[in-house]
Amino acid sequence: MSPILAARGLRLAYDSRVVVENLSIDIPDGGFTVIVGPNACGKSTLLKALARTITPSAGEVLLGGSPMLSYRSKQVARRLAMLPQSPISPDAITVRDLIGRGRYPHQSLLRQWTAADETAVDEAMAATAVGELADRLVAELSGGQRQRVWIAMVLAQQTELLLLDEPTTFLDIAHQYDVLELCARLHESGRTLVVVLHDLNQAARYATNLVVMKDGGILAQGSPTDVLTADLVEAVFGLPSLVIPDPETGTPMVVPRRPRVR
Amino acid sequence: MALVLLLLAVLLSLAVGNKAIPLEGVWLALTDPAGSYTDTVVASRIPRTILGVLAGAALAVSGVVMQGLTRNPLGDPGLLGVNVGAAAAIVTAVAFFGVGSAATSVWIALPGAFAAVVVVYALGTGPRGASPVRLVLAGAVVSAVIAAYIQAIALSRPDVFDSYRYWVIGSLAGRDPGTAGEVAPFIVVGLLVSIAIAPALNTLALGDDTATALGANTARTRILGAVATTLLCAASTAAVGPIGFVGLAVPHIVRGITGADHRWLIAYSAVLGPVLLLVADVVGRVLLSPQELMVGVVTAFIGAPILLIAVRRMRGSA
Amino acid sequence: MSRRQGPAARPARRPAARPVLRLGEAVSLPIDRRALTVGMLVVVAILLAGFLTLTLGSLGIAPAQLLPALFSDPGGTEGFVLSRLRGPRLTVAIATGAALGVSGALFQTVTRNPLGSPDVIGLGVGASAGAATVGLLYPGVLPVPAGALIGAAVAIVLVWLGTGRGFSSPARFIIVGIGVSAMGSAYTQFVIARAGREQALVLSAYLNGTLASRGWDDAVLIWGALAALVPIALLLGRRLHLIEMGDEMADALGARSGRTRIASIAVAVCLSAAAVSVAGPIAFVALTAPQIAKRLGRSPGTGILLSALTGALILVAADLLVQQSLMGVQLPVGILTAVVGGVYLGYLLIRESRKGTL
Repeated sequence: MSPILAARGLRLAYDSRVVVENLSIDIPDGGFTVIVGPNACGKSTLLKALARTITPSAGEVLLGGSPMLSYRSKQVARRLAMLPQSPISPDAITVRDLIGRGRYPHQSLLRQWTAADETAVDEAMAATAVGELADRLVAELSGGQRQRVWIAMVLAQQTELLLLDEPTTFLDIAHQYDVLELCARLHESGRTLVVVLHDLNQAARYATNLVVMKDGGILAQGSPTDVLTADLVEAVFGLPSLVIPDPETGTPMVVPRRPRVR
Repeated sequence: MALVLLLLAVLLSLAVGNKAIPLEGVWLALTDPAGSYTDTVVASRIPRTILGVLAGAALAVSGVVMQGLTRNPLGDPGLLGVNVGAAAAIVTAVAFFGVGSAATSVWIALPGAFAAVVVVYALGTGPRGASPVRLVLAGAVVSAVIAAYIQAIALSRPDVFDSYRYWVIGSLAGRDPGTAGEVAPFIVVGLLVSIAIAPALNTLALGDDTATALGANTARTRILGAVATTLLCAASTAAVGPIGFVGLAVPHIVRGITGADHRWLIAYSAVLGPVLLLVADVVGRVLLSPQELMVGVVTAFIGAPILLIAVRRMRGSA
Repeated sequence: MSRRQGPAARPARRPAARPVLRLGEAVSLPIDRRALTVGMLVVVAILLAGFLTLTLGSLGIAPAQLLPALFSDPGGTEGFVLSRLRGPRLTVAIATGAALGVSGALFQTVTRNPLGSPDVIGLGVGASAGAATVGLLYPGVLPVPAGALIGAAVAIVLVWLGTGRGFSSPARFIIVGIGVSAMGSAYTQFVIARAGREQALVLSAYLNGTLASRGWDDAVLIWGALAALVPIALLLGRRLHLIEMGDEMADALGARSGRTRIASIAVAVCLSAAAVSVAGPIAFVALTAPQIAKRLGRSPGTGILLSALTGALILVAADLLVQQSLMGVQLPVGILTAVVGGVYLGYLLIRESRKGTL
C-alpha cells in the first residue's frame, strides 16, 4: 500500500528546543493509525507537522507522494482534515453554522455557499448523530456533544484523511468510547485516520497500525498485537505490566503490575 | 546598602540640575549655609528632594500593598486608577471651590482615591480572584472614565485647564514649600498601617481559603489595606500630582532582593521608592537641559518597559 | 462512501437550508436575513440622526427647507450651515465612526477577545502622540495624518515586541497595550505642557477626540480611507471567521492564519490612524460598535459591514448630543464616548469575567 501521508527525516523544534529528530514515518492508506507515547514525546507535534500546521526545520512531509509545500494550503485542506486538541468555539454560534465552517476549503469568494455545502453538512450531522442539535448554540452543549460537533465539522470537509489530536481528552468514559466508535465507523467507510491517544488500551482496541513514540522518535510500529508487549510498555512508560488479550475484543490489554510492597 | 543608595540619591538630587554643584558644595550648603549662590541653589532643591522622598516612599509602599491585596503582580496606583481618582476629586474642588492648601487637598483627595480603589477592585475581581488582566483593564476603564470627567471640567474652565495641565503630569517642581510638611502626616500614617498589616499580607498571599483556614481575617486586612493605599496615594497625588509606575516597578525590583516577605518588601520599598523617584527627577532635569522633563513622564518611560518585563515573566498565568 | 446511521434518530423533517443569492453557476452567496434587516434599520437610524443634526438648534435648517437645500446651492445662513458647519461635520462623523467600527471588529477578531480593541492596546494614544509631535513639536515637517499613522505604527510595533508572541495571547497584549498607552499619554501630556496656552487648549480638545470644525478635506481623507480599506477587510472576513476557532484550526482548514492576522492588523491600524488624524482619538467607539453589532445581528461572525454601520450611528448620535448639549460649552465628542463607553467596558469586563474568558 503506498502511503498517502508520509514524513522523511523530520526535525521539529519550538524556538530552540528540538522535539523530534530525524523521524520518518509512512501512514498506511485506508488504515486507522494511532500514535501513543508518554507526555512530551512529540506525538502531538508530529501530528501537527503531518497536518502542515507547523513547519519542520528539516526534512519534509509528503502528501500523496508529493511534498506538502508544493500544494496550496486550501488544496491540502481538501484532502486532509485535522482537529486540534482545544479548538475554540466562537460566541453565539449554532451547531449548524460551526459545521458549515468546515466547508471553507471548497468555497471561493463568489461561491460562498452552495447546495453541495448544504449536503455535506447534512451528511456530517447524520454521521455524528448531531442532527437534532442543529439549531442549538455550541456553547450550551455538553463536552461529549461538543466533541461530536467538532468531528462533524472536520467531516464536512469531506477529506480522505482525518487527523485527530487527542479527541477523547476531557470526556467521560462513555463519551470517550462514543467518539472512538465513531472513528471506527469513519474508518470502515473508507477514510484514513491518524489519531493521537493517551490510553494504551483504547489505542490497541481500535488501531490497525500502532505507532509508539518516545523522546521524539518512533520506538515501534505495526499492528497492536505485534507491537504492544510488556517489555515495550516497560521500556517506554517505565510501567511494569502484564499484556493479555482483551476479553471483549481480543486485542492486547495492558494490566499494570502491583508494585511489590515490603 | 539600601540606605546608602538613598543617601546617594538625595545627594544627587541636590547636586544635579541646571547648575551642577560638586558634592562638597552640597555638603557645605547643608551644614554651614553662608548665603552664597551655590547655597541658594542647593536650598531651592531641598523641598523637591524631600517631596521626592515622601512621594517615592508612599507610592512604592502603596504598590506593595496593592499587589499583596490582589495577589496581582501588576498593582500600581497609576495603573489601577487610584491616582486619577484622587486627581479628579482635587480638580473638582479647585474648579468649584478654588485652590486650598495642600493639607486640604489631601482630605479632598481621600474620597476620590478610595472610591477608585473600591470600584476598580469590584470590577477587577471575578469569581476566581483578581486575574492580572482583569484588574489592569478595570483600572484602565476607571481611569478613562475619570479622565474624561476631568477633561470635561478642565476644558470648560480655561483657568482650571491652565493650572491643571502642568499639575496632571506629576512633578516634584514648583510646589509650595510647606506642602511636604502638610502631607507628611498622612503618609506616615499610611506607612504605619501598611507595616501593621504586613504579616497579614503574607498570609493573604496563600489564597483566601488557605488564609481563612489559618485564622486570618481577610476582610479586615483588605479594608485596612485599602485605607493605607488610599492615604498614601491621596497624599502623594495631592502633593506632587499623579505619578504612575513607581508602585509597579519598585516592588518588582525589591522582590528580587528580599523575596516575598511583605515586611521586608515594605521596608525596602519605602527606601528604594524614593531612590527611583529622585533618580527619575534627576534624569528629567538633565535630559532636556535647560528645559525640564517632569518626573511623571520619566517614570512612565521607565515603568512601562518594566511592566512589559513583568508581563513576560508571567508565563501561563495570564 | 457508504452512509451509516448514528445511534440517535434522524430528524423527522429536513431543516431549512439557509437562503442564498444565486447568479447562475458562478455566484452563490449566503444571505443573512437578520443581519440585512438590522443593517437597514441602522441605516435608517443614521439618516434620522443626520436629519436631526442638520435641523435642530438655533442654526438648524428648517425641515421643510432641508431637501431643497441639499440639492440646490442655497446662499446665506443655510448654505453656510450646510456647506461649512454641520454638513462636513456630519459627513466626517459618519465615515469616522465607520472606520473605528471596522478597525475594532478586525482587532477583536484577531485577538479573539472583545476587549482587544484598538483603544485598549494603545493605538489611539500612539496615533495622537504622533499627531501631537508632528503638529506641535515639529510643525510643517509632515502632514498631521502622516504623523498619526507613524505614531499608530510605532504603538503597534511596541506592543508586538512587548508580548513576544504576536497577538495570539490576548491577556498579554492587553497589558502591554496599557503600558504603551501610558507611555504615549505621558509623552502627549508633556507636549501639551510645553505648548502655549491657546495651542494647548486646541490640542487638548483634539486629543480627546473632537469633530468640531471639521472640513471637507477631512471628509475626503476619511471617506477615501474607507473606500480603500473596507473592501480589503471584507475580503479577509471569511478567513477571520476561521481564525475565531483558533490558529491551528484555521491553518488546518487552509486559511493562512499568520498572513491573515498581519493583513487584518495592518488594515485596522490604517483605519484607526485615518480616524485619529481626522478627529483625534475618539475613545471606545472601536470597542463598543462591534459588540453592539454582534448583539443586534446575532451572528457569530465578524460582521464588518454591520460594525461599520453601528460605529457610524454611535458617533453621529454622540456628536448630535454634544452639539445640542445644555452646557454652555461644546465639549469634545470623545469625552462623551469615553464616559459612556467606559461604563460599557466595565459591564463587558464583568460579563467576560463571569464567563471565565478573561
